[in-house]
Amino acid sequence: MNTQSSHNIIVSPIEHIDMELLNQIVGGLMTVFDFPVQIIHLVDNLEFAFDRQRRQYHSTAILEVLDREASSSALKVLGVTKHDLFIPILTHVYGEAQLGGRASIISLYRLREGISYRDNPKEYYSRVVKEAIHEIGHTFNLRHCDDPRCIMHYCRSIKDVDRKSTHLCRYCRTLLEDEIKRLMGGK
Amino acid sequence: MGKAKILVVDDELIMRESLAGWLERDGHQVDKAASGEEALKLLENTKYDILLLDIKMEGMSGLEVLKKVRVSDPEVAVVMITAYGSVSTAIEAMKNGAFDYLMKPFDPNELGLLIDKIIDRQERDRENLFLREEYRERTRFESMLGQSRLMQEVFRLIEDIATTDSTVLITGETGTGKGLAAKAIHSKSPRHAGPFVAVNCGAFPEHLLESELFGYEKGAFTDAKTSKKGRLELAHGGTLFLDEIGEISMRMQIDLLRVLEDRVFYRVGGTRPIEADFRVIAATNKDLSQAIRDRTFRQDLFYRLNVISIVMPPLRDRKEDIPILAEHFLRRFRQETNKDIDKISREAMDEMMLYEWPGNVRELENAIERAVVVAKGRTILPEHLPIFAPEHRTVPKGKSLREIEKAHILAVLEETNWNIKKSADTLEIDRSTLYSKIKRYGIHRPD
Repeated sequence: MNTQSSHNIIVSPIEHIDMELLNQIVGGLMTVFDFPVQIIHLVDNLEFAFDRQRRQYHSTAILEVLDREASSSALKVLGVTKHDLFIPILTHVYGEAQLGGRASIISLYRLREGISYRDNPKEYYSRVVKEAIHEIGHTFNLRHCDDPRCIMHYCRSIKDVDRKSTHLCRYCRTLLEDEIKRLMGGK
Repeated sequence: MGKAKILVVDDELIMRESLAGWLERDGHQVDKAASGEEALKLLENTKYDILLLDIKMEGMSGLEVLKKVRVSDPEVAVVMITAYGSVSTAIEAMKNGAFDYLMKPFDPNELGLLIDKIIDRQERDRENLFLREEYRERTRFESMLGQSRLMQEVFRLIEDIATTDSTVLITGETGTGKGLAAKAIHSKSPRHAGPFVAVNCGAFPEHLLESELFGYEKGAFTDAKTSKKGRLELAHGGTLFLDEIGEISMRMQIDLLRVLEDRVFYRVGGTRPIEADFRVIAATNKDLSQAIRDRTFRQDLFYRLNVISIVMPPLRDRKEDIPILAEHFLRRFRQETNKDIDKISREAMDEMMLYEWPGNVRELENAIERAVVVAKGRTILPEHLPIFAPEHRTVPKGKSLREIEKAHILAVLEETNWNIKKSADTLEIDRSTLYSKIKRYGIHRPD
């Protein structure tokens, strides 16, 4: 476990998010990235990012606010929202991240597709954790991976999300180690 | 799926940025242009695989850009981006050579699938081209020639290092003979009885390169009906030549580094370690130091490869080798074509000495091949050389008008196979004037 407290990953729930779900996200992030993870509320609501015409929230605008609100000691930030997200050129996104930057966000809105949360919370949690690791992975400069089992694989459908693991493939693991070395003042 | 170099052209900042950001996460290399004019400027200096072009822009419209691009770069796949309600314009764009169109906002999957489809098609086209070139390459220059100081140094270095088992990195411009140098090292090494296995890393899409190099086990992926040995395995006991090493992806760099460090590798889908018993020679025309600074090439792999470095000099720096190389190629192509051509004229040789040869020895070889095909007489003349196009034409220095006139008359006579009437017509003089000039200049018909 990396014990440097100034190198935390922050999970920031936006409005009310189920505590059990947040704990699952924290566990998933700690396993893959090996940094302490804290839950901190950074943003109260997303009105500033609401697009009246599309009735969706502009994720890029939210990333900017999350990055601004997080303390300078935070290594990475992950926003979690129930609202549907978009970027202007696309109809919707499951999440967005600043590639090689600090902020990321996931939307729970479309992750319940095809399953009942009450009947099958495990499957739902698993999807959310995968999306959380995937978006934080982008902030560590990881791009989409061709290996369908790798967590950094880009999923075309929710079925693809269910199929992939919660782990990085050996390529992405090496690239992550390189990036962490760089961030920690290595080469 | 491979990665592409993409240019996003949209006059709306937010659209441009959001699309570029999305594509970058997929690993594509993305440039942005805010107008058609800016896009055309970028296209002049950079080769893109895909152009995502907004139809409706201030200033030059997407359609106008498309028409210009189709002329200047027919290979780039253009995808038009259109707003709801302008489908008819998009259809017009398709008629003008656009690959496809997307209506914004578009579904992220739709975009991903379209990009994959384009890359797949371009990779197949490139693979076909590679197979054609590989066939040609097998019949290409069979020996390295050169009396220049620079080439003598290369020969000496090859002799010195051939007996070691160290990894070698050969750098040099395209056409300088990097592959020949690799073969020379192999043939002089203790591994010469083993195989020389060459892989053009730039010619394979990433997913194919992995199975090509490492081989695969039955069932490793959908099409793997049987197990197959990769090039690493085929190079056992010999030399593995990795050409265009600067083109390999970060993933393949990690794999190769592991092989060089651990000296073992695994087939795709395999668990049995295979010993890596081969010498590695890599070559590139890229500036790898710059690639390391750009973070597109791993420094640790570079150090592993660059144990011994050979730099192949460009032909323009060793012009004294041009006559010997030209004569060598003339002999070879004369034999291949059965044509009775026995010399290269002084003027043609002068042209070759003045030319800069950006494509190096390979370009010279192609030039002689063409000259042998088009020459009608027994001598290769300047106009038989592809470099003697008006844009390359150079005025012979230090020559008198008399010498130039003599050479020109001789060239026309050769071209017409000494038909005096035809030659006089071409020169726009009458036959008696031509006869008197032939006599005055002492021009003789070769036997």
